[in-house]
Amino acid sequence: MDLDQTISALHSAFVAQLDRASTLEAIEAVRVEALGRKGKLSEISKNFGKLPPEERKTAGARLNQVKQDLEARLEARKADLQSTALDAQLESEWLDLTAPAPGPRPGSLHPVTQVQREIEDLFVSLGFTVLDGPEVETEFYNFDALNIPADHPARDMQDTFWLKDGRLLRTHTSPVQVRGLEKLGPPLKMIAPGRVFRNEEVDPSHEHTFYQLEGMMVDRDVSVAHLIYFMKTLLSAVFHRDVTVRLRPGFFPFVEPGFELDIQCIICAGKGCPVCKQSGWVELLPCGLVNPAVLRYSGVDPEQWNGFAFGLGLTRLAMMRYGIDDIRLFSSGDLRFLRQF
Amino acid sequence: MKFSYNWLRELVDGLDTPPRELARLITLKTAECEGVEETGGDSIVDVDNKSLTHRPDLWGHHGMAREVAAILGKRLLDPVKARDIAGPQAIGVQIEDYSLCPRYSALVFDNVTVRPSPAWMAQRLESVGLNAINNIVDVTNLVMAELAQPMHAFDAAKLKGGIVVRPAGLGERIDALNGEGYDLDPSNLVIADASGAVAIAGVIGGALSAISEGTTRMVLESANFNASSVRKTSSRLKLRTDASMRFEKAQDPVNTIRGLERALELLEQVSSGIRLVDGVADAYRPLPPPPPIVLPLDWLDRKLGRAIPASEVRSILESLNFQVTETDPRIFSVCVPSWRATKDISMKDDLVEEIGRMVGYDTIVPVAPLAPARVPHTNPTRDFHDRVREMAAAQGFTEVKNYSFVSEEMARAFSLDPAAHVEVANPIAADQNLLRRSLLPGIWKNIRDNSRNFDSFCLFEIGREIAPEGETPHFAAAIYFKDDGAVGLFELRRLAEWLLPGVRVRPPVSPKSYDHPRRAVEVRHGETVIGRLFEFHPRLMESGRAAALDLDLALMERLQPPMPSYEPLRRFPSSAFDLSVVAPPRALIGDVEADLSRHAGADLLSIAFLRDFTLDDGRRSLSYRLTVGASNRTLTSEEVNAIRARVIEGMQQAGFELRV
Repeated sequence: MDLDQTISALHSAFVAQLDRASTLEAIEAVRVEALGRKGKLSEISKNFGKLPPEERKTAGARLNQVKQDLEARLEARKADLQSTALDAQLESEWLDLTAPAPGPRPGSLHPVTQVQREIEDLFVSLGFTVLDGPEVETEFYNFDALNIPADHPARDMQDTFWLKDGRLLRTHTSPVQVRGLEKLGPPLKMIAPGRVFRNEEVDPSHEHTFYQLEGMMVDRDVSVAHLIYFMKTLLSAVFHRDVTVRLRPGFFPFVEPGFELDIQCIICAGKGCPVCKQSGWVELLPCGLVNPAVLRYSGVDPEQWNGFAFGLGLTRLAMMRYGIDDIRLFSSGDLRFLRQF
Repeated sequence: MKFSYNWLRELVDGLDTPPRELARLITLKTAECEGVEETGGDSIVDVDNKSLTHRPDLWGHHGMAREVAAILGKRLLDPVKARDIAGPQAIGVQIEDYSLCPRYSALVFDNVTVRPSPAWMAQRLESVGLNAINNIVDVTNLVMAELAQPMHAFDAAKLKGGIVVRPAGLGERIDALNGEGYDLDPSNLVIADASGAVAIAGVIGGALSAISEGTTRMVLESANFNASSVRKTSSRLKLRTDASMRFEKAQDPVNTIRGLERALELLEQVSSGIRLVDGVADAYRPLPPPPPIVLPLDWLDRKLGRAIPASEVRSILESLNFQVTETDPRIFSVCVPSWRATKDISMKDDLVEEIGRMVGYDTIVPVAPLAPARVPHTNPTRDFHDRVREMAAAQGFTEVKNYSFVSEEMARAFSLDPAAHVEVANPIAADQNLLRRSLLPGIWKNIRDNSRNFDSFCLFEIGREIAPEGETPHFAAAIYFKDDGAVGLFELRRLAEWLLPGVRVRPPVSPKSYDHPRRAVEVRHGETVIGRLFEFHPRLMESGRAAALDLDLALMERLQPPMPSYEPLRRFPSSAFDLSVVAPPRALIGDVEADLSRHAGADLLSIAFLRDFTLDDGRRSLSYRLTVGASNRTLTSEEVNAIRARVIEGMQQAGFELRV
């Protein structure tokens, strides 16, 4: 066998070995045996010295060619194996991403909070201030300063929780009108959301604890036209559509003139349905021009300033918004209800 | 108040508007109609009493007919025919205090026959919700339903002497027509004869002097009483009558004589042969008419936000029987009719309503106000509460809103003294009589209720604790688990740290009865205790375990971190080393950390807890990583070692062993 044949035979043998090698270690072993300093191909080159120069040159070239070929095959085989190994690893890392994600689920805000925040944001964007008042009120702020003197029949309109110390639980958010004017003075654009109390038997449509939002604007020359403008703006934002409103006379001692504001029933578009008791209109909020007596009680001169005020039932609005048919759910703390929002 | 359409037709000339359309117009212009009911040939319009609170005149058909006539531009007819009732006073009337009884008018009749009313009268009364009794009583009720003037008929044979209107004596008692006895006091006004009270003024008549089948001679009272006095008496006696409901709205004293004139005519129809005895008794103190109201028309236009021609203003006011004089160009002087002047209308703002409702508020075009743009006042408290609310919801907590009422039993269960609570005088239920001084009873109830439906949940409330001296906003949150509640406690602590950076917890000085005795801490910020974190005592739980966090939002708001000021990024590398401290079984990781930090001194940049490992002997090995560095240079390894040695020495001196 001449040298050339020997090299070719070695080449074929190593190629076959390499094909069989299935681990990186086996490939390395092939490399050492073939190309290592003491490998078979190195051994062959040691004998080149005995060859005549012409043959030595040819054999050298042949050996280099084989070495290069084997090196390329080694690298390719290695890359192949690595890629297979990575594929296998990735395959083993299969993950069921439909499994529940760890960590807390988002909670939720109370439906009244959500409606309230929306209306607060709206009024703040219109330049109104958000004010708070105490839940325990004095008779003065809850009634007298709002032009509802003792023994006035208007006190019948609101069944009051009286406290043993002579104070009371506020029956409406209207006391904040007076407190707001006392604190900040005119001109003033304010709203006052909050919890109010009426001593009423509880049933699906009556609660002793519910939420209102009071609003008031006091400036020079505030008119009924301004009031209607703000109410339409408010209600269009709340119901996300243009609403038709109407004012009709309503008696509330702290406003003069006083109105009941109705919106055209959004369920039947005014045609008449059970929700609006076939009238086409739904009573939504009481409002009016601030009674001069209230301004005087608040330390404001009614000849210089006047304004409008309104009261919005937040609980009732939330009921309308979400179609809730039982007012007791709001204070139930029942997560089956609260988690829906 | 129920109004008969047929009755209104007798009082409004040519009324032909269908009942439902009429009800709609009354709702838009005058008062809220709640419905129209068809009954045998008549339509009954039901008007919400609350919307008549300020309108004494609308408690009778004639008053409503005036409104209807004004709305429709028709002529109002008067059911009262002037009668000559002058003559020598038939009975003595003495009023002790005219402010309580501005007027007392009475007629005396004899040859009275008491029998059932004719069918038309009985029907008419029943159609508006009044019971027919007998012809005499029915006449008084008919006049009341027509003219809003309550009346009362006494059997004259049972009265001794003249009429006195006076405050009741202390302990004076009267047996009333309704079969009840009432103990009176001087705050109650009575009608009395020589022997005592015969009626509670403006509320109810007495049984002894009542009309009966045998009555032949009677005294017919048509009086006016002070609204506030009647209301006080009616509230105190818990007795509301058709009369008291009308008087407490402040009736018109001028109406008493009209009532008598109308009654006289009706009595002649239903008690044939009845005879008037002498003339009217009419005690009153003449009052000056209320001053006219000056109504500047430009001001009126500005109030309504639309211009209304002077002629229209005048015709509206005159249709409602106001008298209008133009004293200056575009300045009206308006005289108020007596039936609107008692309480309802006293200032120009009241006239805005009269004009506005009659022109129709739908004729006013909405206008945005022209006002300078101003930045509204801020409300940082509310903003803070909103942030807390949102953070809690983002961390998985659902917001609840609980009642402000708690029972004494519940207060005690939460270590609170019932006597230190604000108490409701008229609670909705006997066990809901205290105002909450803690949100925890409500939260605990939420846990109990929801544990029946859920295996685990998180909830929170932002609400006010109410103490006699004031209201404090609180945040309370709870986590419920079926198994050991330890995880919930840590989640709640993380929430507290998130709501107020820099909070620390410490075991409380005195645990509460509702605490798990080994799982309760105070939540502090610096030296201020801002709340508590605890697990509910398992004995309070029907099943599962629950942890709660209760924080004072007012304190937290004050402790909010100031706006950060920028610090240059570190230019010099830091060094870190780990230390393991062997500590007693119940040592606190936080305490050991604080000790390590103190010994490390000013160059300590951060300290991180790494591991808690329990040794065979029960003691614990607590490992920490301390990172140190200086702001202006790199610490040398000798310096770092010196810090480490100082910490070790300090800890050893404090009795800790270190595993190095």
